[in-house]
Amino acid sequence: MSALILGLPSKGRLQEQVTRFLGDAGLKLKKVSARGYRATIDNLPGVEVKLLSAADIASALEDGKIHLGVTGEDLLRDSVAKFDTKIALLQPLGFGRADVVVAVPQAWIDVSTMADLDDVCTAFHMRHHKRLRVATKYKSLTRVFFATHGLADYRIVESLGATEGAPASGTAEAIVDITSTGATLTANELKILDDGIILKSQAQLAAALKAQWSPDALKAAENLSAKIATSGKVRAAQVLRKALKR
Amino acid sequence: MSFPQYDASALKALDAQAKATLAVFAKNKYQRVEPSILQPANVFLDRSGEEIRRRTFVLNDSSGTELCLRPDLTVPVCRLFMENGAKLPARFSYHGPAFRMQPNDPARPVQFLQTGVECLGEIREAQADMEVLALGAEGVRAAGLSKFSVQLGDVGIVFALIDTLDISLLWRARLKRHFWRPDYFKELLRRLSGQGPKASRSYLARLAASESSDARAAAEGLLDHLGVTADKAIPGGRTREEIIERVLEQAREARAPHLDKRQATLLEDVLNVAGNARRSVKTLEKIFTGAGIDVKDALAATAERIEKLEQLGLESKQIYFAARFGRTMEYYTGFVFELWARDRQRQIQIAGGGRYDSLLRSLGAPKEIPAVGCAIWAERVFAARKALGAVK
Repeated sequence: MSALILGLPSKGRLQEQVTRFLGDAGLKLKKVSARGYRATIDNLPGVEVKLLSAADIASALEDGKIHLGVTGEDLLRDSVAKFDTKIALLQPLGFGRADVVVAVPQAWIDVSTMADLDDVCTAFHMRHHKRLRVATKYKSLTRVFFATHGLADYRIVESLGATEGAPASGTAEAIVDITSTGATLTANELKILDDGIILKSQAQLAAALKAQWSPDALKAAENLSAKIATSGKVRAAQVLRKALKR
Repeated sequence: MSFPQYDASALKALDAQAKATLAVFAKNKYQRVEPSILQPANVFLDRSGEEIRRRTFVLNDSSGTELCLRPDLTVPVCRLFMENGAKLPARFSYHGPAFRMQPNDPARPVQFLQTGVECLGEIREAQADMEVLALGAEGVRAAGLSKFSVQLGDVGIVFALIDTLDISLLWRARLKRHFWRPDYFKELLRRLSGQGPKASRSYLARLAASESSDARAAAEGLLDHLGVTADKAIPGGRTREEIIERVLEQAREARAPHLDKRQATLLEDVLNVAGNARRSVKTLEKIFTGAGIDVKDALAATAERIEKLEQLGLESKQIYFAARFGRTMEYYTGFVFELWARDRQRQIQIAGGGRYDSLLRSLGAPKEIPAVGCAIWAERVFAARKALGAVK
């Protein structure tokens, strides 16, 4: 059995970017199983790669079923409860950049900040006898961010795709969604609030604090860390050792 | 996730507690009701804030209709009343399980027993408040726990003060909405006093703020420019007129004077009052008299409640008051109270209640109906009794 299990995305753009990133670091993925969900990395002994969906990587890290994983910070922060006790972010990887933002219809010329939205939530509730709805797949990020801005008078409606269309289709008034250029939001006649950026996300190499960290696993992590290190930055392995000591 | 576990002796004790508490309620002419455990989800999801919502168990029937396990019994009792149309005033008691997820404290059971009363439509409100407060205390006593403390609060006091301030209606509403959150409230006061960042920095807000401009024309012009004409549907549920009205409100607010420093300090002084209830009322009287503000009625109500509790045999030092204590559940509108005791490890809340005058209207009643209620957390009373050695 390998000392360290590394979860990597199994599909989509994130997978291409991870493969290119590892390739640039001189690390080549080699699939070992016929169905292609397991792999090893040439010249990185002791590491077993599991290819998983981005969401599964987040939950496998949370449960400590894998040691390390690459996935979006947005997914990790939204899906993992008590994040700081379970996950350590070791190294931002510089790709998969996107912001999780609060957006409202452009026609809302009276709303440009979260404080405005707070006022509107109350006015909406009184006028329409129901709560203003916020469509999102980022339920916990939204709750925490809204709570820190003092908003309580709203309701989250879960959206599992095409969130930006929710206001136009009448299933919500506002949204919390991910955006990289803002073009999709603009196309849907939405605008981002001035102080509505919840998280500047990118792909992260993350460690599971609950995983079994044997000396061999730590050594394998150190090897990986050395290969992907960016000059001038603190190395992933250092961050990991510090986090495990807490 | 943690589930309740009752062994034979706990079951026996809980049954005996419920019987004794319900007997007190029955003696005071509260009629026992048993609302459904399964409730339509929307009723709860629309009425409670996101904090309670995220803790509510939601499920679907085969047609896709959303149902939920009742997170408390107040809304179900009120729904029952609305459906059966009893005569007002109406007094109901209940005992049964409620369900809440416990994301912040996984050791807490997701299912728990509540024994309580709801007093609906009693127009002698001060009397009804005291009746329910007394029933809470007597209900806990009947269940076998005599050592507990009471925490009182009343948003009426702070609201009365806010209403005397020389600020816009918008700002009054904002302050009332957030008075119970110390940090955010401080931030609001800074903004209101003209420090801190401006609420809105948009071009439109500045335009609206200038004396000479016609804010309505500016707002309409900007909307037309954005292609949002009167006949076009706007994404989301707000109308063009609704948006224009709020721009006008912002314009009025921008022209309104700032809150002066003395008033801001007064507000903070009042909100910081907390501790022994009798002393708190005295402190508040002094602050208000000093500032020349008359909120005697609101203070007198709290003084009467303290007296009532003392008549029931509670010691003065067991009765607390906090000006900021007001909104743990979001439908409370005035008087609120909590009963606290110790289990083996720590202080725990064993009962809670208060006035919720707008709930029945939001459930479809043609007008506001005064309502006040109280729920006792049966397992916690049992835990407190165990800690005192009253039961095994």
